Amino acid sequence: MASNLIKLTRRHHPVNAPTALSKLSEIVAETGTLTDEDIRGVAADYRLPEASVYGIATFYDDLIAPRGERHVRICTGTACFEAGDADSAQRICDGLGVGIGEVSDDGSVSVAETVCLGFCHSSPAVRDNDVIDAGPGVIERVIEGTTVEAGEPPMRSLLAEPVLTQPGTWAGLRRALAELTPEDLLQVEMKAADLRGRGGAAFPAGNKWEFARNAPGEQKYIVANGDEGDPGSYIDKYLMEQSPELLLEGLALAGYAVGSDQGFVLVRSEYPQSTIILREAVEQAEAENLLGDNILGSDFSFSVTIVEGAGSYVVGEETALLACLQGLRGTVSARPPFPAERGVYEEPTVVNNIETLCNVPFIAAQGAEAFCNLSPGDSAGSKLVCFNSSFVNPGMVEVPFGLTVRELCEEVAGGLKDGAQIKAVQIGGPLGGILPASLLDTPFDFGPLAEVGCMVGHGSILAFDQTTDMRALAQHLLRFGAHESCGKCFPCRIGLQRAYELFSDDEPIDRESLEQLLETLELGSLCAHGSGMPAPIRSLLLHFPDELGLR
Amino acid sequence: MQVMIDGKAVEVEPGTTLLEAIQGNGGHVASLCYDERLDPFGACRVCMVGVEGAPGPLPSCTTLCREGMEISTSDETALRVAAAVVELVLSELPEAPGEHTALAVVAKQLNVTRTRWTGAVHEKDEDLRHPYLAFRHELCISCGRCVRACDEVQGAFALTVTGRGFYSNVTAGVDSGFAESSCVSCGACADTCPTDAIVELRLLELAIEQNGSGE
Ligand SMILES: Cc1cc2nc3c(=O)[nH]c(=O)nc-3n(C[C@H](O)[C@H](O)[C@H](O)COP(=O)(O)O)c2cc1C
Ligand code: SF4
Ligand code: SF4
Ligand code: FES
Ligand code: FES
Repeated sequence: MASNLIKLTRRHHPVNAPTALSKLSEIVAETGTLTDEDIRGVAADYRLPEASVYGIATFYDDLIAPRGERHVRICTGTACFEAGDADSAQRICDGLGVGIGEVSDDGSVSVAETVCLGFCHSSPAVRDNDVIDAGPGVIERVIEGTTVEAGEPPMRSLLAEPVLTQPGTWAGLRRALAELTPEDLLQVEMKAADLRGRGGAAFPAGNKWEFARNAPGEQKYIVANGDEGDPGSYIDKYLMEQSPELLLEGLALAGYAVGSDQGFVLVRSEYPQSTIILREAVEQAEAENLLGDNILGSDFSFSVTIVEGAGSYVVGEETALLACLQGLRGTVSARPPFPAERGVYEEPTVVNNIETLCNVPFIAAQGAEAFCNLSPGDSAGSKLVCFNSSFVNPGMVEVPFGLTVRELCEEVAGGLKDGAQIKAVQIGGPLGGILPASLLDTPFDFGPLAEVGCMVGHGSILAFDQTTDMRALAQHLLRFGAHESCGKCFPCRIGLQRAYELFSDDEPIDRESLEQLLETLELGSLCAHGSGMPAPIRSLLLHFPDELGLR
Repeated sequence: MQVMIDGKAVEVEPGTTLLEAIQGNGGHVASLCYDERLDPFGACRVCMVGVEGAPGPLPSCTTLCREGMEISTSDETALRVAAAVVELVLSELPEAPGEHTALAVVAKQLNVTRTRWTGAVHEKDEDLRHPYLAFRHELCISCGRCVRACDEVQGAFALTVTGRGFYSNVTAGVDSGFAESSCVSCGACADTCPTDAIVELRLLELAIEQNGSGE
């Protein structure tokens, strides 16, 4: 954001050392709050301006909510909204005798909100220090202090040979180092495989790698985006925790193809287990010489550093992600420059989604053609989808592209529990449109979903049953949108607040004003947070206008 | 390379932004977060122009010229979006800006005379601790010009954007006022501020008198 600040950050900071943000998070975890003295201390230690550190400390959710000895975080994500009662948060506050964002007088307990803990298969979910409990009875267990770690349904694959739902073998990296030049890996395999980014924008990964490879610069970086903030999505969580080797192998392959010796994974702090498991996996891989110097005796070296976020949805956007990785405020920057030209510490940087990178080992091991053959239709490879707790068989499933949404909902996930009816589904997170039951026969693929105002996005499938109040849903989504706006661009910063306010009372909403506001957000916003938040509202306007209280 | 601005062919160097090309050729685009002394920021989204073939209007301050681009400074959609953004900006302030401020001037240019939006506004928060500089946080529109001026022009790093979303604002030091910060009293922030949120103390009275006059 401020060009000299970034240079300053870099000057005094080895690339893989903990950042000022990590230090602030550590202080909050230890002492429960940040004082001005803490901020001045971190500024002095990191040789950063005091004002800048203050700016960081006021941006991230984790640094703002004060903590007691027992810190309870209630999920306000969309899956938990659908599963929970409107008064669950209030019941917890009453039961524990402390309000949201407060600490009890004796410092023993505090309550805060959080957005999606990745337990959307078992909503509602609550985090009690580092224990995540979810499902029926969770509110009572929180109040009684008897929370238990919730289970997670095993991952499944509909493919004859699962690609993404099995542990990594490092066969792709072994083959690449033995048989492929970096140029071959990029041109012959990656570009031919036409692997589209799974993080939402569906940009071809091979092309992105090529930009970074050709960008001038000695030092290049590969960043895995483990911010998975979309409420309702826990795909990247499963991958990071259950197949961490696959991700590390994908990162190393990207490093080999692009000419980088340093990778990062930025993991959201809502996934405490992911960070722990990934750090262990890095150590293990280093011990086996699969990461580190001269991997498997070759002249290719590659290290991976795991960095934790601090509570911000928009940090999933790539320029904000890189700001967070450097320990700064997680706000979006205008492109150009693209990260591939100027990213981490102003060096060429590839940013890829976790699932995108997890596909790379298969491509490197088995080749582009095998990858293209995984799905019958136009899109190459497979896709991970995940279902919310309304379904009979929630969980994460690897599917070929091209099944219809109905097949996914009814056959793969078994329809809704207790004979409930699907009223609509939201696919691919809060920036994705909402598909009414009448359009369930739409194929689950990039093109067909775009035609009906929806997207594949991260691949979460979140069902709303016939009892869902669509105006309350719109209000819920816009509350999220306004809360998470990074505040950089004016349309989103003010517009999402105004949109949320429109839905926040019982007054009729002027349709023309609402539509003008949506247009301003869509056409004016700097990033896809502001331009994407109107998508579900547009769907509701189109398919459920009578339920929104319009005039 | 050559681009067309409102039907007129002009020569520009590669790396020129649309805004630079337009201004360099006698044209005008309204803007709030742009200051030619600072790196383009792309935050206010008021500098929108139409570009032939683009799916929607583009911010002229951060978009680079490409060979043969056809740019329109009177594109209807671009002007509609710019005006709608300014209307939103007026709605976040507890009172209308003074008529001499850049914000009031831009509003006038875009024919925005009132805002339909009600709802939260920034709380009054006046900081008069510094001998020369007054800070009225309620008038801050988070354009980041002061923060960037302090960083890029002065290298003093006294200012930061704070908070997030609608509640973003700007402050000095650890929210400790200019005097308790690394501020060197150069006035670069007050000079660039488009709303008089930061203003030289000796001009404060005048600024207060003018508040509300921009509507
Ligand atoms: C508001 C917002 C949130 C995003 N969140 C994520 C995220 O959580 N994970 C992710 O991989 N990409 C996210 N993205 C997309 C990233 O900007 C980027 O396109 C992606 O990480 C690139 O990886 P891919 O090409 O492999 O998909 C987000 C984008 C926006 C605008
Ligand atoms: S659209 Fe929203 S999240 Fe994206 S840059 Fe603008 S304010 Fe930030
Ligand atoms: S104080 Fe003025 S210059 Fe600084 S961000 Fe606010 S409005 Fe912009
Ligand atoms: S765990 Fe609550 S929405 Fe995902
Ligand atoms: S002047 Fe271009 S976005 Fe503000």
